[in-house]
Amino acid sequence: MNETIIQIKQVSKSYQNKNETVVALDNVDLEIKKGEIFGIIGLSGAGKSTLIRTINQLEIPQSGSIRVDDIEITTLAGKELRTARRKIGMIFQHFNLLSSRTVFGNIAFPLEVAGTPRSEIKQRVLELAEIVGLTDKLQNYPAQLSGGQKQRVGIARALANRPEILLCDEATSALDPQTTRSILKLLRDLNQSLGLTIVLITHEIQVVKEICDSVAILENGRIIESGPLVQLFLDPQTEIARKFIRTATNDTIPENLKALIHTQTQSGNGNLLRIFFRGETAKEPIITSLIRRFDLSVNILYANLDFIHDTPFGSLIVDLNGDEAQVPAAIAFLRDQGCRIEVLNGVEPATL
Amino acid sequence: MVWNPQLFNLLLNGLWETIYMVGVSLVIAAGFGLPIGVLLVITGPEHIHPHRVLHTALSTVVNIGRSLPFIILLVAIVPFTRLVVGTSIGTTGAIVPLTVSAIPFFARLVETNLLEVDRGVIEAAQSIGATTWQIIIKVLLLEAKSGLVLSITNTAVSLISYSAMAGAVGGGGLGDLAIRYGYQRFQPDVMLATVIILIILVQGIQSLGDWIARKINHR
Repeated sequence: MNETIIQIKQVSKSYQNKNETVVALDNVDLEIKKGEIFGIIGLSGAGKSTLIRTINQLEIPQSGSIRVDDIEITTLAGKELRTARRKIGMIFQHFNLLSSRTVFGNIAFPLEVAGTPRSEIKQRVLELAEIVGLTDKLQNYPAQLSGGQKQRVGIARALANRPEILLCDEATSALDPQTTRSILKLLRDLNQSLGLTIVLITHEIQVVKEICDSVAILENGRIIESGPLVQLFLDPQTEIARKFIRTATNDTIPENLKALIHTQTQSGNGNLLRIFFRGETAKEPIITSLIRRFDLSVNILYANLDFIHDTPFGSLIVDLNGDEAQVPAAIAFLRDQGCRIEVLNGVEPATL
Repeated sequence: MVWNPQLFNLLLNGLWETIYMVGVSLVIAAGFGLPIGVLLVITGPEHIHPHRVLHTALSTVVNIGRSLPFIILLVAIVPFTRLVVGTSIGTTGAIVPLTVSAIPFFARLVETNLLEVDRGVIEAAQSIGATTWQIIIKVLLLEAKSGLVLSITNTAVSLISYSAMAGAVGGGGLGDLAIRYGYQRFQPDVMLATVIILIILVQGIQSLGDWIARKINHR
């Protein structure tokens, strides 16, 4: 699990668009470990599509190096590149199936391309159809399938030549939430049963939260934050990361509460705190301890709790009333317990 | 209209000449036009084999071929026609200019059909390691086959219309019959009969083309 399978070093790519140069990738460094599910998240235009396409050289970077399974893929061309690509499966947002071929024909396509004998093709296609659960649809054309079924065909096609890596280009962005979940579950199962390394790009943090082990955030062609998923959720370093996480955890404060907080902090009436807790601290009765230790009453205005890979984390907004002098000590106590505290004094509603 | 065996034979002969001229030139034009259309597409910017010089050159030649009015082309390439088939007159002599004019026409139609093939599907084929040849045959042509059938149909209909001018070089055919008998000899019955046959012919070809295109379309 610790062996590096994809190493991206100092990769840059820019496009000439009329008179201006658009930088799609700006000295990107990434390391993806064998057997992990690695998510690259960013807003549209951040360079995600370009980045994932450099891994199988559908996009050729202007500088930098990309090693896939110890092969410097940027130096390959022609037959060598085609052979290398067979070991890197790819699925797409719009599935990109051949409309003129049946499900069977689509799954068989990469096998034909690789020159697999006919008898083996049939056997392998049946195996793959079984894996993705489409055994009864083999004679159907893509136009007769639902979005989720089309993506299953895409997955079967991508796996036909037994790749070690699967690239997912916004693979669930065109699907409804329920279908998205079933496709993500399939990807997770494949990751576990085949030891498949999965690299996915998405603009949906929910996707990342659901299946990724590691994550990188891409903004304006640069990786601004990367690491294990838990670390990103529990200790986000950048504003964009915090925004994504708030979306993922539904951690958005209602407008009326924001207005209330605003008026309270303006009038200096009350002591509003935002308490971020995580992991072990989430299991401790910190509010109870707070009330027992200090001569303060605690009014909870807002609370949010979520789990990331079974680690609980969340935030509270509380109003402390009572002996004003004890507030600083109370804050210090909470920090000792491992909480991150924001004192909401004079904050603008927009920043909450 | 006076219905007699003589008129019947005249019409049958004209129909056969039309079918012969159109059929032969259609097959040859498709044989040359298809690869030219494919080359036009794949050498285009951002396609699987961008090649600016080749693309521009091909495109220019195709445009020149398409800008010449057929009647001018017919006489302009007489030496070439003689070189290829040994004569510049008669039905055989008409086949060469018909083919020459249909090649660029069909090539452009092929180009339009192939450009409609989704870039994503081509990308998917590249991602599984398909060769250029495999992409052309298994992706571009097969994905566009329904449109290609309609393009062949269109070309056939255009060729029927052009073949009427083949009379200028003694090519014969239904159009020639209509002009010589119907117009120049004041035989409106011949004119009417040829027009009706032409309408049925064109209608039949179009319906057949539409039917095949629908049959093989799985989109």
